[in-house]
Amino acid sequence: MSPSVCLQEMIRVIRGARTQGEERGVIQRECAAIRAQFRQADNGGRSHNLAKLLYVHMLGYPAHFGQMECVRLIASSKYSEKRIGYLGAMMLLDEKQDASLLITNSIKNDLSHSSQHVQSLALCTLACMGSAEMCRDLAPEIERLLKASNSYIKKKAALCAVHIVRKIPELGEMFTPSAHSLLSEKNHGVLHGAVILITELCERNPDNLKQFRKSVPELVQIMKNLVTSGYSPEHNVAGISDPFLQVRILRLLRILGRNNDAASDAMNDLLAQVATNTDSSKTAGSAVLYETVLTIMDIRSESGLRVLAVNILGRFLLNNDRNIRYISMTSLQKIVQTDHTAVQRHRGTIVDCLKDQDASVKRRALELSLALVSAANIRSMMKELLLFLSTCPPELRSHAASGIFNAAERYAPSQRWHIDTILHVLVTAGGDVRDETVPNLIQLITAASELHCYTVHKLYRALISDIVQQSLVQVACWCIGEYGDLLLKGECEEITPMQVTEDDVLDALETVLQSHMSTPTSRGFALTAIMKLSTRITNNVDRIRSVVSIYGSCIDVELQQRAVEYNALFKKYDHMRAAVLERMPVIDRNSSGQTNGDPSVEPMKEFNQPKPVQGVLIQEPANQVCDLLDLLGDSNPPLLVTNDHTSTAPNSTNSTSSNVQDNLLDLLGGLEPTPAPSVTVFEKGGLSLKLQCDQQTETSTTVTFTASNSTQSDITGFNLQAAVPKSVQLQMKAPSGDLIPAQGCGTVTQTVLLSYTNKANLKMRVRLSYSSQGTACQDMVQIDSFPSPAWS
Amino acid sequence: MMRFLLLFSRQGKLRLQKWFLPMTEREKKKIIRDMTTMVLARKPRTCNFLHWRDLKIVYKRYASLYFCCGLEDQDNELLALEVLHRYVELLDKYFGSVCELDIIFNFEKAYFILDEFLMGGEIQETSKQSIAKSIEASDMLQETMEEYMSKPAF
Repeated sequence: MSPSVCLQEMIRVIRGARTQGEERGVIQRECAAIRAQFRQADNGGRSHNLAKLLYVHMLGYPAHFGQMECVRLIASSKYSEKRIGYLGAMMLLDEKQDASLLITNSIKNDLSHSSQHVQSLALCTLACMGSAEMCRDLAPEIERLLKASNSYIKKKAALCAVHIVRKIPELGEMFTPSAHSLLSEKNHGVLHGAVILITELCERNPDNLKQFRKSVPELVQIMKNLVTSGYSPEHNVAGISDPFLQVRILRLLRILGRNNDAASDAMNDLLAQVATNTDSSKTAGSAVLYETVLTIMDIRSESGLRVLAVNILGRFLLNNDRNIRYISMTSLQKIVQTDHTAVQRHRGTIVDCLKDQDASVKRRALELSLALVSAANIRSMMKELLLFLSTCPPELRSHAASGIFNAAERYAPSQRWHIDTILHVLVTAGGDVRDETVPNLIQLITAASELHCYTVHKLYRALISDIVQQSLVQVACWCIGEYGDLLLKGECEEITPMQVTEDDVLDALETVLQSHMSTPTSRGFALTAIMKLSTRITNNVDRIRSVVSIYGSCIDVELQQRAVEYNALFKKYDHMRAAVLERMPVIDRNSSGQTNGDPSVEPMKEFNQPKPVQGVLIQEPANQVCDLLDLLGDSNPPLLVTNDHTSTAPNSTNSTSSNVQDNLLDLLGGLEPTPAPSVTVFEKGGLSLKLQCDQQTETSTTVTFTASNSTQSDITGFNLQAAVPKSVQLQMKAPSGDLIPAQGCGTVTQTVLLSYTNKANLKMRVRLSYSSQGTACQDMVQIDSFPSPAWS
Repeated sequence: MMRFLLLFSRQGKLRLQKWFLPMTEREKKKIIRDMTTMVLARKPRTCNFLHWRDLKIVYKRYASLYFCCGLEDQDNELLALEVLHRYVELLDKYFGSVCELDIIFNFEKAYFILDEFLMGGEIQETSKQSIAKSIEASDMLQETMEEYMSKPAF
């Protein structure tokens, strides 16, 4: 076995390795040597070996074989070995390892060691990696040490107690009395530990809160001493006397004063004093001021004090130090809901921070600006926000866009402004907006009917300049499709007139259709828009026809399906085209959650009257525009969607039946399923049997027998048997029951399937057996001819 | 309380790691990876605070080393900057004009100093002199033992 090198030499060798592989080799050799040494009996180099192992562990290599060595070293009597052993325990052992329990005994012994340094090692390790069991075992020891005379040990014991309380809150009671008495210590370290312990106790248990509220005057006094005392070299940081302790005390006061008037009153003066006297030119002072502001805002402070706090935050906003600006915006964010007017005063500075270089500051400024938008300042704020949107980092874009939309929706001064704003956002950041923006915008546009001309002009111009932003493209296509006639008319008061020819419009739409930047949804929009234009333009209908027929063989299935349907609209159903492609009515915003295929929609039945179907159109316009003309749709007939077409298709409506597979052709042929005629084949003594034929084809029929009872009493034990000629096959389904209630209150039905080769031979003999009024009856019926259903 | 304290170089090599909350090896590795990527990606004159999961991350660069700590929601970030600064001052006092190499070759001493300053994620001593004195005393204790052990046995 090669002699192992000392720690520093090993580190040098490892750092000298030129490649990862070389380093690995060196480390493997060293680890092997260390492992061998661990197995040996006690030798003088144990602590060195463990130190080497810890270094290797920090580089990221496995070091679990050192765990037992840590346990052994901790139990050693040499201080240097204990020190490294405890360090190893903190690095390699945690509460999840089994070996950690083995050191509990060593820690217990060391807690009562004569040397305070050994005690401190044990305390430190316990506070760092003590598991719940270890804490439970050792809590009494810690409590004893809290009362020790040595302040070095007391401060460490206090923090150890904090760890125990965090692990096992119930043990907090054990430390409450000692915590109280520790407050009268002079040593800052002990005081600091005591304040943290009390904070932890109060946060875990509200009873402790009540108890420790009595200490508020004491804490106020300590704080006052710190603030007003002269220069103390031991604790001074940039002119502030012990800012660490000050901040902790302020934090404790915050917890004690929350929701409690008496405690809050007691600390009012102190907080005012700290807020005014603390010098915030360096970070230490700012830290104290920051904590003071947080405390003032959280307790029941008087309004003068709150104003003072907000002013401090405002001052922070103007500070050159970015950290302080960030901090102040974080705090303002917390209080913007409660002290809105006070924060509004600083709106200008906050908006300026939107232009800061730092991404964190920008994020905070954005959130705060969005919170500060109100009806009064919407126009100016929106200008700033839109400017921000064009220059903001990509990760903030979608947040900014949705914030702008919300603000615009809540406070828009006019519809035109609202539409303009949304358009601006789509042009700048269309790729980052949420999906429901498109239908929302479309709904908004249809609602603002007097602005249709203006809107479509603007959208057209946006479309011809850039087709990258998909949301914008979709909205623009939809509008051009709907309001293309307004676009072609040319004049519009609010925009400089621009002559747009039909070719221009079709060019624009075809560009979208053919561009590989367009998503399938956008292409769908474009195709539908082109189709809609066929009724709104006069000269280029042929061009539209050719586009539509070309896309009939498109690879994209969705586009192909649409193109084929539109083609059909041109060819076979040209007479319906105008009606189908009519302008859509205003969409009802509230029901935008429902989809086209909702079968429970009532208004379908109203269709027989020629009245416009206003509120019926419960669909999200964006996706459903396509389904609108999706005439082969597998749910309810979409023809319902447009209004005013009842003149041309009066019968197309009621097919909520199961014939959804039947397509356009059947619907338009006026083939609604009037119920097939039923024939009464048997009538005797109140019992009547009806027969109804459904779904007749050349070789099969489904026959339904319905038995009803018009007598005063029920008919029970109803049984139906049927016989057919040999050339016919019969299949009887189960009857719905055998009891026919009296006086026509209910019926019994039974379905029979017949299949045959020649319809002419179809005959059936039916035997009925039942009990009526106590007597059993039997009857026979011959059926020679079956009624044909409504269609042939 | 502070959840963790990491020191890493400009190349992302870890020089010191202190965890104040029990975590699996895997979580630790993930945090180290995330911290190094996030902090090293920051531009020079940006603010020292970041947000990561539900923690506030405070980092400061001293020469070639980044000091990075993770704080909980209630903690004061500006004070954390002061804590990091105080630790650097302690190292500086101990090693005399500390540089990264000192921390590399004497990492166990850096840990000892940290353990005198922070405990359980909180500050245990606010006086620089006090910490320096106790470190000195511990070192004396160690040397005395070793001297004793290395004396010839006659």
